[in-house]
Amino acid sequence: MSAAVYEERLERMWQSRPGVLGWVMTTDHKRIGLLYFWTTLVLFAAGGAEALLIRTQLIQPNQHLVGPATYDELFTMHGVTMIFFFIIPMTTGAFGNYLLPLMIGARDMAFPRLNALSYWIFLGSGLFIYTSLFLGMAPNAGWFDYVPLASRQFDPGHAIDFYCLGIIFNGLASTLTAGNFIVTILKLRAPGMSFNRMPLFCFAFLAASWGLLFALPSLSADTIFLFLDRNIGTHFFDVAKGGSTLLWQHLFWIFGHPEVYILIVPAFGIATEIIPAFTQRRVVAFPLVAVAELLVVFIGFGVWAHHMFATGMPTVTVIFFAAATAAVVIPSTIQVFAWCMTFITGNAQFKTPLLFIAGFIFMFVAGGLTGIMFLAVPFDQQVTDTYFVIAHFHYIIFGAAVFPIFGGMYFWFPKVTGKLYFELPGQISFWIIFLGTNLLFFPMHLVGLAGMPRRNYTYPAGLGWGADNLAETIGSYITTVGILLLLGNLVVSYFRGPPAGADPWHGATLEWTIPSPPPEYNFAVIPKVSSAYANWDVEDREEDRRRLAEGVMVLDEGHEQPVSSPVDGWFAEIAEMPHDSLWPIVLAVALSVVFVLLLLHLWMGTAFALAGVMLALLGWHGEEPEETDA
Amino acid sequence: MSDYAAGVRRGGPGLAVWGMAMLVASEATLFGTFIGSYYYLRFGAQHWPPPGTPEPRVVVPLILAGVLATTSLPMQLAAMAARRARLWAARLLLVWALVVQVGYLVYEVHDYARQLQHSAPQDNAYSSIYYTLLGADHVHVAVGIVLVVWLLWKLLRGLTTYRLGAVQVVAFYWHAVNLLTLVVVGVLLSATL
Repeated sequence: MSAAVYEERLERMWQSRPGVLGWVMTTDHKRIGLLYFWTTLVLFAAGGAEALLIRTQLIQPNQHLVGPATYDELFTMHGVTMIFFFIIPMTTGAFGNYLLPLMIGARDMAFPRLNALSYWIFLGSGLFIYTSLFLGMAPNAGWFDYVPLASRQFDPGHAIDFYCLGIIFNGLASTLTAGNFIVTILKLRAPGMSFNRMPLFCFAFLAASWGLLFALPSLSADTIFLFLDRNIGTHFFDVAKGGSTLLWQHLFWIFGHPEVYILIVPAFGIATEIIPAFTQRRVVAFPLVAVAELLVVFIGFGVWAHHMFATGMPTVTVIFFAAATAAVVIPSTIQVFAWCMTFITGNAQFKTPLLFIAGFIFMFVAGGLTGIMFLAVPFDQQVTDTYFVIAHFHYIIFGAAVFPIFGGMYFWFPKVTGKLYFELPGQISFWIIFLGTNLLFFPMHLVGLAGMPRRNYTYPAGLGWGADNLAETIGSYITTVGILLLLGNLVVSYFRGPPAGADPWHGATLEWTIPSPPPEYNFAVIPKVSSAYANWDVEDREEDRRRLAEGVMVLDEGHEQPVSSPVDGWFAEIAEMPHDSLWPIVLAVALSVVFVLLLLHLWMGTAFALAGVMLALLGWHGEEPEETDA
Repeated sequence: MSDYAAGVRRGGPGLAVWGMAMLVASEATLFGTFIGSYYYLRFGAQHWPPPGTPEPRVVVPLILAGVLATTSLPMQLAAMAARRARLWAARLLLVWALVVQVGYLVYEVHDYARQLQHSAPQDNAYSSIYYTLLGADHVHVAVGIVLVVWLLWKLLRGLTTYRLGAVQVVAFYWHAVNLLTLVVVGVLLSATL
């Protein structure tokens, strides 16, 4: 048989259903990645609109565009949206889903139906929490939701219940995704891709997934306690009855600080793919960067209390956490030096994706330097709850997480769509966003040092904060223009862009070895891998073509996927992967009903809905792979 | 499959077992957080349990947790029997485990209700974490029982590779739940020390 015949057979085998049903039932990681992409983009728009309202409110002193109650809802929903409903699902859900299997030479994720379930749960949780906004009951105690402010006594109504249940619901999706990524990375790498031959992008996603798996339970426990306190009358956070308000903060930040690295490490992964492609050079100190990606997340689990220096913890505790925080600098700096040395020693071509990565490095270093300043405990206590903190973490979260996301959108746009974007508007969009974000966030350092507190809906005149706030608001609108130009460029390029071909950048990893957009089966032949820069290994790619012509490692007899040993990447077995299924969406709907009924205190109804969840699971597991009796 | 079957190395546990390992890791962390919270509250309290709140009973919960832990044996034997395609042996071992597990849960639920007559989660932080931790453990036992019932129902219609994987995965889950129960009971009984 010829290569074309094999490809046709694979096409038939892996084809999705046509039309809407194909998307609803899909288990294809690429389609799920795109679903995540579009959904998170909508939620990004919502979070961005909230940010613009905040900035418009603060454009000058004594503004009353919105009142204090609405302002509380705006900054809470902005934080919740950007962290839980934009950056995590955009990096892991969209980029991770679409790209990870392609980079490791796999045909899908390890658990394709679970992957679909993650998306539908994520969508359900997004709809759930945004329903609160339309009902006038949006969470309003900050994304960190401190007690006692968030207790029933000071925040009656359903706002905080929406927060608790929405966060638990969303956490389910992230946990499923994290587990799926870990198993996919450990077990589905193309035979031959031992750990030291795995792209740095995958190390980053492995680190972020471990982080999610071990950090989220702390947040879940915290929100379970708060929900019980508010709705059952328990006393976890009630000091009068032996509870502790600081327990909330500890549990929140045991999740919350690793969360920061969970947000930015995938962005590091994106950077480590873009830099080699546009410098045509392997990343300097590959093993150190790989270990540093894992270490950042690992050390990130031991630094949470640096968010609590102003709470009156014992001095020895404070010093321990300050020292632990200082340790994070080491793996972070290793990566920064490695990226910079790759730039310097390579042949850097500053096309739009690389510009965004250069901007990211600048913002990350700036945000990192202000981060180190917080280690000086008296300084931290002085600027706690001021705009200096906002400036710091927006340099990190916008600069170090969102910039690489934008760079990644440009970089992989040709792979996903088969079209090239327009370069000049791309570069212009970078410069507008870069200037806009610095104008938006840099003056926040100054007003923070001048004592402007966060979370206040307005401020009086005559304190010297007006000019900086005006500049910040102008910066926010400039940033918005840049983002709209970026998205507009990609939309126009989708319709009018020139064809990209399989590999417009001479990229380093396996996704560039296959056509753009990738076929549903991803790889016609399971690729041979002998380095982390597989697309640059010309002999291996020739071997792939030989294998395809001879029908070796084509796996065209079913929905098949090779499974490897976790460390050395030895060929272990062939797994039969599931086909499209309606059960993930059915299960997600049943779970959504559970959460709505919990919110309404309909306990019997919740029990019935849980029975519905079990029935859905029964249906799910009724679909067995085609196989013979063991 | 002939082209690539040659040279295949059976590389340890299958994907399903890896998936269960992820679930167990996540659940273990959740319980670790509960237990950490228990001790955080305890070390902030002058009296634990607070005056007026009964101390947990020691002997019966310990014996029951020990009895539940023994079900790891039939669960593991069932997995081994399934691997050798001994269907009836697998079914009988699962029934053995199920009888003990259901007996344990029935007694524990009854005991939970009995304790609620003397104290309530609404009394103080000690009772809140006590009932939450114990209740969460019971929920995990209940889920395990549902899984074993489901497994038996599946095995009524014969053994396939998929169902073999399911037996191994459910046995794994039960080992984790049994260990978890021992730890939870130990933590709760530490209040009597």
